[in-house]
Amino acid sequence: MSPTPTPVQTHCPYCALQCGMSLTAARPAVPGGVPVVVGGREFPTNRGGLCQKGWTSAGVLAAPDRLTTPLLRGADGELRTASWDEALSVVARGLARIAVESGPEAVAVFGGGGLTNEKAYTLGKFARTVLRTPNIDYNGRFCMASAAAGMNRAFGVDRGLPFPLTDLGGAQAVLLLGSNLAETMPPSVRHLAGARAAGGLVVVDPRRSTTAQLADGGQGVHLAPVPGTDLVVLLGLLHVVLAEGLADTEYLETRTTGAEAVRRSVAAWWPERAAAVCGVPADDLRRTARLLAAASGRHGGAGAYILTGRGVEQSTQGTATVTAAINLALALGLPGRPGSGFGAVTGQGNGQGGREHGQKADQLPGYRMITDPSARAHVAAVWGVEEETIPGPGLPAVALLDALGRDGGPRALLVHGSNVVVSAPNADRVVERLRALDLLVVCDVVPSETARMADVVLPVTQWAEEEGTMTSLEGRVIRRRRAVDAPGEVRSELWVWAELARRLGSGVELATDPEQVFDELARASAGGPADYSGLSHGRLDAAESRGDGLYWPCPDGEGAPHPGTPRMFLDGFPTPDGRARMTAVDHGGPSDDVREDAPTYLVTGRVLQHYQTGAQTHRVPELEDAQPEPFVEVHPLLALRVGLEDGETVRLTTSRGTALARARWTTDIRPDTVFMPFHWAGEGSANRLTTDAVDPTSKMPEFKVCAVRLEPAVPTSPVDAETSAALTANGAR
Amino acid sequence: MLNVVVVGYGMVGSRFVDDLLARTDAQVTVLGAEPYEAYNRVLLSDVVAGRSDIGSLTLPAPTSDRARVLRGVEAVAIERRTRTVLDSSGGRHRYDALVLATGARARVPEIDGLGPELPAGVHALRTLDDAREILAAASNVPRTVVVGGGVLGVEAAQGLAARGLDVTVVHGGPGLMDRQLDAAAAGVLTGTLRRSGVRSRTGCRPAGVLLADGRVTGVRLDGADVLAAELVVLAAGAVPETGLAARAGLETGHGVVVGAELATSRDPRIFAIGDCAQPPEGAHGLVAEGWDHARRVAEHLAALTEDAPARTTRLPGAWGRPSLALRVGATLATREVSAPGVRGTDVVTVKGMAAVTMGVCGAGREPNPAHRTVVLSDPGAGRHVEVVVEGTTLVGATCLGDARVAADLTAAYTRRTPVPADPAYLLLAPVAPQTASASSPAQMPADAVVCRCNTVTKGQITDCCEAGAGTLEDVARQTRATTGCGGCTEAVCGILEWAAATQPSATDLTAGTRRP
Repeated sequence: MSPTPTPVQTHCPYCALQCGMSLTAARPAVPGGVPVVVGGREFPTNRGGLCQKGWTSAGVLAAPDRLTTPLLRGADGELRTASWDEALSVVARGLARIAVESGPEAVAVFGGGGLTNEKAYTLGKFARTVLRTPNIDYNGRFCMASAAAGMNRAFGVDRGLPFPLTDLGGAQAVLLLGSNLAETMPPSVRHLAGARAAGGLVVVDPRRSTTAQLADGGQGVHLAPVPGTDLVVLLGLLHVVLAEGLADTEYLETRTTGAEAVRRSVAAWWPERAAAVCGVPADDLRRTARLLAAASGRHGGAGAYILTGRGVEQSTQGTATVTAAINLALALGLPGRPGSGFGAVTGQGNGQGGREHGQKADQLPGYRMITDPSARAHVAAVWGVEEETIPGPGLPAVALLDALGRDGGPRALLVHGSNVVVSAPNADRVVERLRALDLLVVCDVVPSETARMADVVLPVTQWAEEEGTMTSLEGRVIRRRRAVDAPGEVRSELWVWAELARRLGSGVELATDPEQVFDELARASAGGPADYSGLSHGRLDAAESRGDGLYWPCPDGEGAPHPGTPRMFLDGFPTPDGRARMTAVDHGGPSDDVREDAPTYLVTGRVLQHYQTGAQTHRVPELEDAQPEPFVEVHPLLALRVGLEDGETVRLTTSRGTALARARWTTDIRPDTVFMPFHWAGEGSANRLTTDAVDPTSKMPEFKVCAVRLEPAVPTSPVDAETSAALTANGAR
Repeated sequence: MLNVVVVGYGMVGSRFVDDLLARTDAQVTVLGAEPYEAYNRVLLSDVVAGRSDIGSLTLPAPTSDRARVLRGVEAVAIERRTRTVLDSSGGRHRYDALVLATGARARVPEIDGLGPELPAGVHALRTLDDAREILAAASNVPRTVVVGGGVLGVEAAQGLAARGLDVTVVHGGPGLMDRQLDAAAAGVLTGTLRRSGVRSRTGCRPAGVLLADGRVTGVRLDGADVLAAELVVLAAGAVPETGLAARAGLETGHGVVVGAELATSRDPRIFAIGDCAQPPEGAHGLVAEGWDHARRVAEHLAALTEDAPARTTRLPGAWGRPSLALRVGATLATREVSAPGVRGTDVVTVKGMAAVTMGVCGAGREPNPAHRTVVLSDPGAGRHVEVVVEGTTLVGATCLGDARVAADLTAAYTRRTPVPADPAYLLLAPVAPQTASASSPAQMPADAVVCRCNTVTKGQITDCCEAGAGTLEDVARQTRATTGCGGCTEAVCGILEWAAATQPSATDLTAGTRRP
């Protein structure tokens, strides 16, 4: 590794906030040590701040078990090092054989929301033109699919935040539903200061999360609904807004359709009924609705935002919940008004760009639908292929994983930027399906749990070793830059796909230079909802040097370059009639509800120090020291009932599987609910417990709620009276 | 195709239509006596209280072309032999299944001065028209007597008092809401009402209304007291509408008698749901029960038509005696859908009062040795919480004056989640903001995390100070504290000041302290 001499202005490798940072060569360079020093950088989203993950991110570049050569599984069942030529030959031969024997759809591709735009685009193109398989989907199906479905239906487009994050700073109220951003993207908390000062931060979460605690001391309101009932909170809030005459009726009349049906649909959700289902007192719903209305422009407030996160979206009624949140926002007249709005807080680093350029089962670049004939014709022309050779929609992620190795299902799987063994729901089933494959090829940076199951492992570049672009949670396209050389024989996935195309005898041209790929992506996106055609690495470099990026849509046109679109919908919505569509939704409840043998709710989520399955963060000593092992948050009342002491190992059992983790007593959670972070593999893996039931519209799995049984891993006598008495003395409140 | 006729287009009838259309391909005809679209009757007391806009009560209309809603059309007779309903405009509607959702009408107490036509100033509170009339009357700020101290009466009284009216509730029972509350709880409710300006007269019945020029001027109680009143609101219960069923020869008692599957006892093609029904498990007149009835009948009909290729020809003939497979199928279908989600349709909520009861409650309950009852009595604060536990399950509760606890009890009761080892914990809210943790640096343990974003403890900051750091910038550079969300800046400054003042002994004070 030979770090470049001057600081490189780039962005953090982790979440969708994409904090600006600068990387300076470490001097003196220590063998095996971090090759660069991370510095904070003035960027609108993070204003120079970083969380512990960002500050220590250089540690990922120095991971002791970094993959540096291809690996092949030998006859003895062990992975051994191999040359690129040998490894790619095995892959190409295997893919060709399976395609001939079982058809092109027997080869499947699984992508990731952490891949750069250039990689996401090329992966989609590779699947559709070289492999000609419809079966490509990605882990964004686990993150953003419900928000995407809800926003597309209502607004005609899905850009997580259709406004700059910094706009939140001027708001009088911010309603956060199922988002723990103080833990998942800490520097973003800076933008909540205004709402907190106005007493207007409303956090909806079954836990008194770090984010919920930001509402303490009169800075806002924390509503703690029963898991799986966030939708009811929203229906109740909308009921109050309409029943108390707080709605922006002029906005509803001029900028929306469907308001009357929605109004009627919430007539049956009066606050007391909502309270009986969601466990949030009726008057708390009333106060919250009034607080939001008072902050809206209609009532002379400084503005209000409604934001959703995975907590409400990773649900079998995720799309409905997002829709209800949008309905509430529309009733208050927020979207498309400066200083107000609705948004979904994207999670993964390129969770926004990753869902726009064609690695989604039903989608082509530019956020076009693969079933739309004009979209197919446009993209086919850019790709230089016949339109009819582009396959139709493939299986969405959960169905795709479940079909692996089954009759008629895929026999080969290529995995890029994803660790499905740990990240997918019902993880034991995923392992079983991966074992049933004839060929599993995993491109990764480190030997992740999924890579360790592969027949072929290909070592690829990461973050500071590559050039490209990312699109942040606010739709701002930004530059990722190379600061160090990749170690060993590590190659970019762009090269891997081009090589495989060549070896498979495809006539399709796959560019390997990220800048060239981006130009092609821009052309392919032209005219689509996510139009990048006016963007180039050159323009984005210039924006970065001003400490900024450019927001899509940014079409190419005559005259001066398009400035990009920081704020969408100001003049109308990109729907056929220019109005936002309101859709009535109703509550059905979680797919796996509590019952006698599983009487407690399990909710899953993240901790500050780890990211996703921890493939990166478990390899950074500072992060691992701070958060070394899986745990379960348990209210003392629940712990005492099941005989579980603080710090004791608990066994969790659901209909799918069991997991073990250390119990942490806390009064910051409902006693009918436990929380477990999902960053760990093995016996402490939360996703061995979660359900793979999916939302009917978005096909997103219900990670966030299921029914679980708890018991001490080692059976003990019930907690004695002394402990019980101590608890009383300390006050269980 | 199944032809279903629904009589009654209220909250339950309209919900049934939605449920049926969602589950079957049936053709549905609805006869609604009121001229209005279906509306939310539960909220009429909120309208009277000024909490709800009258326009926000309208319920969804069916969007399917398989549904036909005839409003302002009354069903006048059922011809069971020909399976036909005759309506007030001469229409005839054939049915394969008939669902009666005729609801109930306000009970008019038998007292002097009240007949079938209510005098001016006296209103029931059962229909949209009633609510409009009361609203119009209330604008003159009349003295008001509410007859009946059940849930509706209490809600109406509280709501009218909140509008600034002088309100007295007259209730014949020993205490307010005596179907739900025992004497202690009723006493607390009376106190709460009194604080919101409502007087209560319990244990006495109105003997007559006083009239002048056909307009009410007061209410005479059976103890001969007279309460002056320009507005009288009748909230003396409801009487199920059973006339149509009785004329058709169906069995009626208090309501239309139905079995476990809500089919009438004498005709399995005719069902009764909601307030007009008298099911074996009894009824409380709650809409949740009616909606549960609606769902059950919709599922029952769906199960009968499901997976039956020859259903159009076979079903009518086989109707009276469905095959065992069909009956088992129907039962299973019902179980599967009703098992998850919210159960317990007997939760009674008094809107505007933070008062909730459920399951085993009130003075009239049978003593049960298996029940364990724990009570928190705090009448001075208007709080009264009683929980009844059987084994590990909450089987009943009464909660006044603590909305947070009421919400938790409702969640536990409807989901049957196991109660804490000591049920007394149910009496207080288990999740509440803590008092601020040690805010003074001196009391903060050394390993307390000050900067969450970067996992920086107080000890690390004081170490940094001992090593010479004097400013926030120094600390930020060395520990990265304050460089994430910036929320700990004040706390770090506080520790800096404290360290500067107490050095060199800063770390000794807290050495060895444990994490809380």
